[in-house]
Order: sequence, then structure tokens, then C-alpha cells
Amino acid sequence: MNELTKKTEFFGGCPHDCPDTCSMIFNVEDGVVKGVRGNPDHPMTRGGLCVKLKDYEKRHYHPDRVLYPMRRTGPKGSKQFERISWDTALDEIVSRWKTIINEHGPQAIIPYSYLGHQGLVHGLNGGDAFFNRMGATVCERTFCGEGSCTAWLLTVGPTAGVDPESYIHSKYIVIWACNSVSTNLHHWAIVKEAQRSGAKVVVIDSYASRTAKEADWHICPKPGTDGALAMAVINSIIDQGLVDQDYVDNYTSGFDALKGRASERTPEWASEITGVPADDIRKLARELATAQPAAIRIGVALERHHGGGQTIRAVSSIPALTGAWRHVGGGITQFPVWEHPYKFDVICRPDLIPEGTQVVNNLQIGRALLGELDLKVPIKSMMCWNSNPVTQAPETDKIVEGLKSDDLFLVSAEHFISDTASYADIVLPASMGAEMEDMILSWGHLYLTYNAKSADSPGEAIPNNEIFRRLAAKLGFEEENFKWSDSECLENYVDWESPACEGIDLEYMRKNGFARLTVGTKDDRAPHKEGNFPTESGKCMFEVPGATNFVAGPFRQMYDDLQPGEPLDPLPDYTAPRESPATNPLLAEKFPLNIISPKSHGFLNSCYANMEHKIKGQGEQFVMISAFDAEARNITEGDRVQVANQRGAFKGVARITEDVNPGIVVATLGYWRQLNTGTVNSISSAEFTDMGHAPSFSDNLVEVTRTN
Amino acid sequence: MPHIVTDNCQSCRFTDCVSHCPVECFHEDDERLYINPDVCVDCGACIPACPVQAIYDVVDMPEDKEPWIKVNAERSKNLPVIMSKQEPLPTAERRRTELGL
Repeated sequence: MNELTKKTEFFGGCPHDCPDTCSMIFNVEDGVVKGVRGNPDHPMTRGGLCVKLKDYEKRHYHPDRVLYPMRRTGPKGSKQFERISWDTALDEIVSRWKTIINEHGPQAIIPYSYLGHQGLVHGLNGGDAFFNRMGATVCERTFCGEGSCTAWLLTVGPTAGVDPESYIHSKYIVIWACNSVSTNLHHWAIVKEAQRSGAKVVVIDSYASRTAKEADWHICPKPGTDGALAMAVINSIIDQGLVDQDYVDNYTSGFDALKGRASERTPEWASEITGVPADDIRKLARELATAQPAAIRIGVALERHHGGGQTIRAVSSIPALTGAWRHVGGGITQFPVWEHPYKFDVICRPDLIPEGTQVVNNLQIGRALLGELDLKVPIKSMMCWNSNPVTQAPETDKIVEGLKSDDLFLVSAEHFISDTASYADIVLPASMGAEMEDMILSWGHLYLTYNAKSADSPGEAIPNNEIFRRLAAKLGFEEENFKWSDSECLENYVDWESPACEGIDLEYMRKNGFARLTVGTKDDRAPHKEGNFPTESGKCMFEVPGATNFVAGPFRQMYDDLQPGEPLDPLPDYTAPRESPATNPLLAEKFPLNIISPKSHGFLNSCYANMEHKIKGQGEQFVMISAFDAEARNITEGDRVQVANQRGAFKGVARITEDVNPGIVVATLGYWRQLNTGTVNSISSAEFTDMGHAPSFSDNLVEVTRTN
Repeated sequence: MPHIVTDNCQSCRFTDCVSHCPVECFHEDDERLYINPDVCVDCGACIPACPVQAIYDVVDMPEDKEPWIKVNAERSKNLPVIMSKQEPLPTAERRRTELGL
């Protein structure tokens, strides 16, 4: 590892909602970030960033950046604000909150954040201690991967699984529901390296994503049917006599029950549901079992339909059936963050939460604001940071209606007047990545990543954590943690004494920018070679007797009361989507097309989708549609089209392509509502999937019509 | 909106770009390299790697480079992928000097 060569260079960590968490180097002149590049010494970043981050500094100094605290002066949503001082802004917030607390109690206030910044200090959980101390409604945040977490924890426990870097040793790689080329680029480079060394790369996705096009084999199940495919793979592994019986006998639990369940889930059965030929399913099963080491990389999209949790239960059972875990580069990868040593109880302070505090899930914020949920205390104020629900959450029209209510006091800490901040009563200018010290968590590799405060914030912007420090002081919160500096937070938030941190401390991070956790190396890590799953039994749990539904702690402020709690099927199985022509023919009469809404290549969620050159690169909102479906609707290439269902509508440009099969349309996420007509989430359902209150973004029927 | 290799690559073919590309989008002939616009992910990692500043983002390039968009798109379709860095052409250093780089 090199140290920085110039005094004007600082280590950065990409704070965006992406598994790659790149180590970066900021070039700073006269206190201004002039450029950014990938850290060439980082084994995953390898000196390259991505289309979003390559000119990261431009976002910091964008002319539309919010520079001062502001108070709304026009109607909600009019984007009419006046500049006020920080003291005035904070006094007004505290005064309004005190009034609300006096009238309704603290649960009338809800925090709303997500991974708009992935820092330990300023990110997902940065405000949790503050709002837990207040006694506010706990916000359950399940945008992305939380159903997957529940299924993963039930099956294999909190393991990082296969090191993404170990894929260079894999001979068979399955990328399941992940468009790595656009959303996990630095892992894709490793997959390509393995491919050059002879590995076969299989991509399973319901449309021909950029990644699928680069695969040796693209398997294309109908949306929401991956669980049927996975169950049939299990069936076929057993049927073809390819089970590693020694591994199963010693390191798994519930094989006989799984075998019984899978016995009727034949490739022929799955073929009817998925559209994948039965022989292809047998071939996939055979190759997954015999081409070792075989590794499966699941993407967050795998959970985004009604049966998402069960799908991941099934998929994460496969490596234990085949004994893939015996090998370096064999097994499955979900989120390596499970082996990152963070002290979430210190970060979130769940001990401060009053007993019986109500929970609202952030996907259903529209329903909550409109009084459609059975809440003990109605929501009268929301503070939103690191998140933009109007663009990113489902049932957008309900959210907008809720945010327009004069009865709601909305505080937004933001970089720009986003689609959500447009409705704020008070807007607070938040610092951006290079302007504040933090360490950035990664759900895609096994490195700690440091981000130095490299430049001052423009205007009067301050870091999120400073906002909460100031609010805590004004509310008289005396707990020590509300007085910690950002550096002190880092000292306290990471378990530096854990074995994974051997030889690493904060000074090391400052000096080196990143540090590999001591959890084995890419060349020797085989964490479950002999079982050792971090489950209660120490085994891979095919069957989990008595399992109930829950959301993992970091996604609900570490609050463990009032979990969903409903009983779960102890065994993996296929749970059909709610909205598909096969399962809901009545709805499909009106809305016959399934829509998938993956992330845009050129945006990061809604970040960058307000920047002219990024929009130019990404292109305007498009709707990919098959020639068959286009012809049936008299749609030609480039036509303006409306995509609609019972929940809402958005507009885009038709792109007729063979990349989607008949019956499916694809429109990517992130475009701003204020720059477009609706967004893809206007049509998304806020119904949860089967586990972890995950979103059902890929379980929606729509109709497409020509509008020009 | 991809990246493109332009005229400075001619007679150089340093190929440092290839080892910085995460997606194998470079194609080669004996003279120079071309970027497949359908595979390029616009990460920009290749731009600083090129010793002769031959690579541009089409969103941000001089107007006189525009013809290279078509050249890259057409030529890359029929040429093999180059997967690793190779020796520059014998004329590379002379060409670099001529270019003042």
C-alpha cells in the first residue's frame, strides 16, 4: 500500500449506495476538490471508478447545491424558499417538534433515511441514536436487500460467504439477478478475470441486461419466478445423484425435509412457470454441482417479488447441497458486511427506545401519511436525510399527497432540492462526501474504507452528524454520544479489538485509506469448508423449525420489539408473484405487462439524475418493450408512451428491443419526477414480500400506451 | 454515450488502457485500438492510462474527434477483443515525441 504522494491528496471512500465502496483519492487545491481518481492500490477499486463517480467533484460544486438553511415561503411543492440562519432553522425545528411532542407524543415524529450516504457516522444509522432518544416512531428501512438478509440469516447466519475476490479461483460463476456491469462493476472485473482463466459465467436475469449479454450463458426466467427455478435446481441436483452427501450429513440440517419438499418441484414443473426449458434447468443443476469451485453472486433484485425471501432461502441452500463451500471460491455471496466489525448498538443506542414504540416501514410512508395504516400515533413530522422517497419509494402518488398536507412538518437535510425536499418546510444544507470524515461500510467487499475531510463544505453546509449534534444540544440530550466528534464516533463505532481488525486502528486507516479485514485471504478463505456456519446449530439450515419473520437490526434502528413476527414456512419453496398474468389474470386483463425497474447505468438511485451531463450520458427515461408488444399497441421506436396501472403512471420513450421478452417491459430507476412526468415508482406497489418487509419492485403489472 | 479511441493511438498502440478496463471493451488491429460502444461502461478509467491522450468521453470531446465515434463503433464489431496489455508499436515513442506528450 502506498501513502499519498502529495500533501494536496486525501483518501476518500465512495459513500454511495453501491456494494463496491471504492477507495478514492481526492486531489485538492486551495481547499477545493479539483479531481478524483480510484485508488490504484485497492485490490477491488484498482484505480478505476465508474460513470457516476469519475467526476465526483462536479457534484460537490454543482450550481444547484443547497448552500444555506431555508424556510418554505410558497405552497408545499412550489420550491419557494427563503434563506434563514442555522440558529433560526434549528430553533424553528425544535419549537415545532416540542409542540408536536406536547400534543401527540414523540411518536408523531418519524426519521426517514437510507443509504444515500453509507458512512458509519453520517449514513444509514447516523440519526438513530438521536431519534431513539427522542422516542420517535422507529422507521423500518427495507429498500434494498432486507428480505435477502432475513433469508440469508435463517439459512447460513451472518457470514460474509465467499469473498468476492476469491471468484478468481471459481470455475463456475452464477450471477443471479444482478446487473454487475452497471451496479457491481469492480466485482465484474474479477469475474471477467476468472472467465479468462476458463470459468463459465452464467447470468440469471429476466431481461438481457448489459451483464447478461457478456455471459457465457444467459438464463431468462419470467419475472418473480426465480424461486421455482431454484427449487427445480435443488430437485435436479438430488435427482441426478449430485448431492455431496458427506457435506450434507455433517454440516447441514433438514436435508430429508428439503428433499421431500423438492421432490415435486421438477424441472418440468419449473419450466411451465419460469419459461426456462427443463433440460436447461438440469444442465444448470449438473454444472453447479460438478464444476467446482462454483460460486453464486446474488443481487438485491432477487428479493423484489412476493416470494423473494423464499427464493433466497432456496438459492442459498444450493452450495451446501453440492459441497461447493469446501473450496476457495466456492459457495455464495450475499453481503460481506456481516463480517465487518461495527458496533451497531453503540451507533443506534436501541437502549434509549421507549418500550412499545411503534414502527412504520419506509416503503409504506405514503400509506402512513395518508392515515391508511393502523397507527397508535399519527405522523405529524418527518425528518428526511440520505433518502429521497418521492423518487425511490413505491406508491409515489400517495407519498406526494401525504407530503402536501399542511398537517405535516417536513425537515429535509439535502444536497439539492430533490423531489422530496421540494415539499420541505425547512431545508438544511448537508455536507457531501469529500467534506466530512467518515468510514464507509461495504456490502460488497471485505475492506474497511476511510474517507478524510478533504475540503470545507460550500456555503453553510454541515455534516449530517453535526446537524444531529446541534439538535441534540438544543433538545437537552445529555448522553455522551451526542457530544462525540466525528473522529470520536469512529473510535467508538468500530470494534477495533475484534480479531477482524488485527493490526488496524483509526490511525492506520487515516494513513492507508483502506484495510483488509483479517477474515482469510482471497486465496485461502473457505469459511464453511467444515461447516462452521454462524447459525445456532452451526449448520446450514435447509429447514428452520419455528422460524418467524423479522427485519435485521441495522434496518430498524436496532429495535427488536414489534418485529413482523408471522410464522414462516420452515422450508424453502416457490411463492408465486402477486402480479403476473399467470397468478392474477383478472388484473392482467387491464394491465397485461410485467415491469422491471432496475437501476440506471448512469445514475446512482436518484443521485446524479439532476446533472445535465449525466442525463446526457444516461439518456432520457426509456421504456424497453418487445416488438411483439409494441406492434400490438401501435407503438414504434421513439414514440412517447405512458406506463400505467391502478397506482399511477409515468411517461418515457419507447425503445423496441430484443433484450426483453414479450410480456415484459423495463424502465430504469432514478429519473427525477420534477424533470419528468411521473417516475417508475409511480406504478410500484408498497406491499411487502414474504420476508424482511422487502419491496416488491419487480412484482407489478402495467399497461403501456402510445401518447404522441 | 461511450468512450472512443482517436487518432493519437495510431502508430503508438501503447495498450495501457486495456489493463485498466473492467469490461473488455477494447478491440485491436495491427495499427490501433477501438472501443466497442455497446460494452464500454463509461467509467473513464482508461483516459488517464493512455500515454498519448487518445481516449475521450464522447460527452466531453473536441468537435474534430466526432468522426471517431463511427469508426470505433464499426471497426470494433469485426475485430478481436484485446484482453491484456501488449508491447507498444516500435514507432510508439517517436510518435509520442511528435505529439509533444
